[in-house]
Amino acid sequence: MKRPLLLGLAGAGLFVAALDAYVVVTLLPAMLGDVGLTIERFEQATPIITGFLAGYVVAMPLLGAYSDVRGRIPVYGACLVAFAAGSAMTATFGVWSFAGLPWLVAGRFIQGLGGGGLVPLSLALAADLYVGRARTVALGSVAALQEAGSVFGPLYGATLAAAAATAGGWRFVFWLNLPLTAICGAGLVLASRRVALPDRDATSSIDWLSALALGLGLGLLVLALYPDDPEHRAANSLLLPAGVAALVVLVAYGWRQVHRLEPLIPRDLLRSRAFIGATAANLLVGGALIVALVDVPLLARLVFKLNQLDSGLLLTQFLIGVPVGAAVGGLLAGRIGNRLTGALGIALSAAAFVQMSGWPADELSLHTGPLRQADVALAVCGLGFGLVIAPLTAAVLALTRGQVHGLSTSLVVLARTMGMLVGLSVLTAFGLHRFHQILGTPVLTDPDLRARVKHLEQLVAAAFLQEYREIFVIAAALCVAAAVVIAFALPPARKSGGI
Amino acid sequence: MAAALALMACSGQQPSIDAARVLRDGAAAMAQLKTVSATLKLTKGTISLQGFALVSAKTSVRLPSDSDTVYTVKEQDVTIGIQVVISAGHVYLHVPFSTFQELTATQAAAFPDMAKLFDSTTGLPAIIPAGSNQKYVSTDQLEGTSTYQVSTTYTPDQIHSLLAELNSSGPVAAKVWVGVSDHLIRKAVLDGAFGDGGKQAVVEVSITGFNAAVNITSPTP
Repeated sequence: MKRPLLLGLAGAGLFVAALDAYVVVTLLPAMLGDVGLTIERFEQATPIITGFLAGYVVAMPLLGAYSDVRGRIPVYGACLVAFAAGSAMTATFGVWSFAGLPWLVAGRFIQGLGGGGLVPLSLALAADLYVGRARTVALGSVAALQEAGSVFGPLYGATLAAAAATAGGWRFVFWLNLPLTAICGAGLVLASRRVALPDRDATSSIDWLSALALGLGLGLLVLALYPDDPEHRAANSLLLPAGVAALVVLVAYGWRQVHRLEPLIPRDLLRSRAFIGATAANLLVGGALIVALVDVPLLARLVFKLNQLDSGLLLTQFLIGVPVGAAVGGLLAGRIGNRLTGALGIALSAAAFVQMSGWPADELSLHTGPLRQADVALAVCGLGFGLVIAPLTAAVLALTRGQVHGLSTSLVVLARTMGMLVGLSVLTAFGLHRFHQILGTPVLTDPDLRARVKHLEQLVAAAFLQEYREIFVIAAALCVAAAVVIAFALPPARKSGGI
Repeated sequence: MAAALALMACSGQQPSIDAARVLRDGAAAMAQLKTVSATLKLTKGTISLQGFALVSAKTSVRLPSDSDTVYTVKEQDVTIGIQVVISAGHVYLHVPFSTFQELTATQAAAFPDMAKLFDSTTGLPAIIPAGSNQKYVSTDQLEGTSTYQVSTTYTPDQIHSLLAELNSSGPVAAKVWVGVSDHLIRKAVLDGAFGDGGKQAVVEVSITGFNAAVNITSPTP
């Protein structure tokens, strides 16, 4: 009972942090409005999401090793403190004159650092507490909590902000993290006193140079992909120098990791077609998944004119589809193998994105029998993602022995989060530029301001709709590419061995 | 006066500042301005601009009559910036993503003329010293500048004269911050029943860029 409690508390903290990855998606208009950022500067919102993801990706590969030296619980506590501090910074966005957009992005980055650190720590804790088959179940449960938190984030944010409209609205969502993390942290410290954890490993150390390289590389990448002037160009004016510098730094980071990690990850695994394929597929799946999580609520706000809560609720069918798909995927993978299950799953998501790329402006009024067509498409899309997530993780776990399952699972999450970060950055830059291309410069001669703004709203909604249709086509292409990679790289059923 | 204030502070005495004189000096200094910038923020209540809830307004003024103002308004919870440029007697409107369009006189009348806020006969220079119940409150630092804070009260007509869109159903309490050395008005807070439906509203006006270069956008319809 003591071990499940300890792991449950660690998982709860991880779940809270994962919720915040995309919690801002449905809150963005209200957050930006509170500090006077107008709709024509919407691109400035991108770093609010990418900042969190960058922090998440930087912390994830580093803090597992660090906790070997410092101990799981102290490092987990430090991550919770960082997450809470970042949440407080986010909640105070715009409260003081100095707390502008850079303050918010810094807060989101620190939130991401804390939240990202919780992933390897929770996985390492699961590996510490359990052995054999129970360890695989524990690792799977932690990974599932991380996935569930990230996909439920937009709906959680919208629902909580609506319920707490008189208690700060969107700010309440971030303030709530403080007591939640305090409860998890205090509970974890108390529970850990009753459980014997492995001794600290004095020979292990944190690779600060790698941390710096990864942070710098991702920062440069986000800068290179930031749409600084979407009206006139798709890419940043610094795309070439920043992009090349990012590539050089990230390649150097990768090279260093391959050599440093060799004792932890066997060379055979790194050369394994299945491992490379699963990582590549995860990157592609991440890029497509972010489209559903971010662009569907935004489409609902900007085109379907739904309010904050309803735009989050539109994702409900998708969010139901993911865990159902994951459960079905687990069963199917046991019968027909990871390859077929994963490829079929992501192909299903591709088909849903193709259907979504044809959505008209009145999509929400279209029904097939008693079911709304948009709900069916989103449920199928979520089902597909659910089907592919478990087989990809299982394929990597099948290649490794128990003692590196935690690290392997962490690499799977890392690859998907990287896919989300790059996918969001690239698609936002593309989308905003396409939006300006489609909209052009309308000439509005309506008699009064209200009529002009209404007219403009119609033109903007039409341009956004076309933009999102094109993004759904790209998401479908990413899914097809992932299906092809899975089909060629993963081994057929009952043909896997541990490394 | 600044030296006297410092002397009083050192001796622990409460300085006796003539609030009426502070406001008169402030009005006189403001009447000399050729260019100025101001930011107006609604901190309480609702004031509508053609059916949109006003959040703030940022203006650059070249007296006597040119101004470039961005009104930030809210439509549900989406924030929109609406720019109005008044230049050489012409009024231009810019809504996001579109081109500037010149407004007819009737259309233009629906927007506040921010230059009038600084007009020496009807704007701040004329109205500021005319309040009642003038009282010195404190000496405050505003962004590195020493200022006298003075409280006073204005009638609805006086407020309406400042900006025609402000229609109060009762007296308006004001706090005014006037520079100790240059007498320029740095900030004003108006609190009265001039919100939509005669409800309570509070407006904070921060004034900067005294006789500094201002940028009035050249509209290209």
